[in-house]
Amino acid sequence: MHQHGIKRGEVCALIIRHNPDFYPLYMAISSLGAIPAVLAYPNPRLHPDKFRQGIEGMSHRSGLDWILTEKELDPIIRPLVEKEGSTIKGIHFPLEWNKALTADDTFLNEIKELHQGIKNTDPLLLQHSSGTTGLQKPVLLSHRAVLNHVENYAEAIHLNENDKVVSWLPLYHDMGLIAAFHLPLAFGIPSVQVDPFEWVMVPSLLFEAISKEKGTVSWLPNFSYNMMADKIQDDELENISLESVRMFINCSEPVRKESHKKFHDRFEQYGLKPNSLSACYAMAETTYGVTQVEPGTEPSLLIVDRQEMSKGKIKISDDHEVSRACISSGKTIKGCEIKIVDENRNEVSDDSIGEIAIKSASMFDGYRNYPEKTAEVLQDGWYYSGDYGFKYNGEYYIIGRKKDIIIVTGNNVYPEDVEEAVSKVEDVIPGRVVAFGEEDPEIGSEQISVIAETNLLNEDEQKKLKMAIVKAGMDIDITIRKIYLVPPRWLIKSSAGKPSRKANRERIIDLKENKVELK
Amino acid sequence: MISDELKKVILEALKLDDFDIKDETVASQVPGWDSLSHINVILAVEKHFNIRFNNREVLRLKNVGDLQRLVTSKLQG
Repeated sequence: MHQHGIKRGEVCALIIRHNPDFYPLYMAISSLGAIPAVLAYPNPRLHPDKFRQGIEGMSHRSGLDWILTEKELDPIIRPLVEKEGSTIKGIHFPLEWNKALTADDTFLNEIKELHQGIKNTDPLLLQHSSGTTGLQKPVLLSHRAVLNHVENYAEAIHLNENDKVVSWLPLYHDMGLIAAFHLPLAFGIPSVQVDPFEWVMVPSLLFEAISKEKGTVSWLPNFSYNMMADKIQDDELENISLESVRMFINCSEPVRKESHKKFHDRFEQYGLKPNSLSACYAMAETTYGVTQVEPGTEPSLLIVDRQEMSKGKIKISDDHEVSRACISSGKTIKGCEIKIVDENRNEVSDDSIGEIAIKSASMFDGYRNYPEKTAEVLQDGWYYSGDYGFKYNGEYYIIGRKKDIIIVTGNNVYPEDVEEAVSKVEDVIPGRVVAFGEEDPEIGSEQISVIAETNLLNEDEQKKLKMAIVKAGMDIDITIRKIYLVPPRWLIKSSAGKPSRKANRERIIDLKENKVELK
Repeated sequence: MISDELKKVILEALKLDDFDIKDETVASQVPGWDSLSHINVILAVEKHFNIRFNNREVLRLKNVGDLQRLVTSKLQG
């Protein structure tokens, strides 16, 4: 890295598929005081223009200096680097580099000096969410934030020398990068990494790895509990034992009771312990974890009155017909404080629902080069998460969110990205589109739905239009599962004059509940 | 050549009315065939033809032609 001109403070995007060489490359960037930013390797369905647009947006925002990737992406990325006015200094293919590098003492001393010059307040890494319309916010984390976090979070999960992490999580995501990589790295604990692309095709690979390596801790987004319980066949489970696992930690999308039950019932006979099903609440802005369920205990379950909930109050219910099951995300970990606030950011009482605000020893240093967005969420040392929840018996329950962001299988999707893509489809009335998340109990996650206004009335034409909308989603690597075509002026506008996602989502759900036939 | 039978199973698994599927077709070209639904296609094919693929076979598939050849070899074997 040093020989290739990478310098302290420079942002290096790493776009590399599952590969053992990724890890030393990441650490090399960091050891020079440069800033690694792990980005998702583009799915073949993502249109090259959209991929470039995403990278360009990031480079404008965070001043991307170098791209380290695989040779295969050269024709796609090169035009961006060579474009006039590009801030990107160059593109490297480190997997092609000669590994038999020899270095003399002078060279090694140079590196040592660079390394020793790094302060713990310096930036360690940038976490970039994906997206195409430039809405992504680059989260900047210092060495101090990450070091504080690994220490405090390790304590929260009782991490010990006998632990072994097993993960299929992508490293461009905070759960994969911090929990399954930085945490074991800091404590010298083995981490077994399964290729996410392979896991999603053969989910039993995770269990194979756990069984073979006697894994003890694994973080999973909620949809994977459904996926493994529903899709893994009996013959794949021969010789599988999950007895070694002390924690499966559900995180990065809402924890669903049904998913835990399904997973438990399916795999109990393979040694799965009910008290290994844990949960936590986390976000990139606080490095990772904020709350954690006590190891060795099942998350508490509260049956709450739905009507009272809609008024923002928590009342325990014994009538299951009109209640909602809420699963605890546990207590705050060391170094974190939570307060629940109303819309004026005033603290509310314990029986009330509000926005979750967090103070953390692992707080981010803001969104890089984005002071206005940072100011929106950071105030007097508190990070306003945009998530709704409540506190009960000292534990925190997350029940929804203020922001329109859609969480699909643990990944954040900006509805604006989907709306922009769909708006450009012929016969969709421009600007008259809303995208939102719809709960899919079968997969245990949210799926993307779109309502679009059109003048087309003919059934065949509408069918073709739906296909064109699905394809517009594919170009930005997004699967639109449901499309509702509606006539002009159907969409309800918000006070700002734009179609309201919330109101129109509620309108559709209401119509479906009343069994009104939708196109 | 992709058999009509295989094509029908794939389209049903993806809830598609019709789509032109050829030997060289890859999942990312087919609406709704994403990483999440891939396993549904594989399970539907296994169920319909009453065959089982092992992990390595599933991971090696590059396009629908590969899937057709795998199905054919399993049925003949």
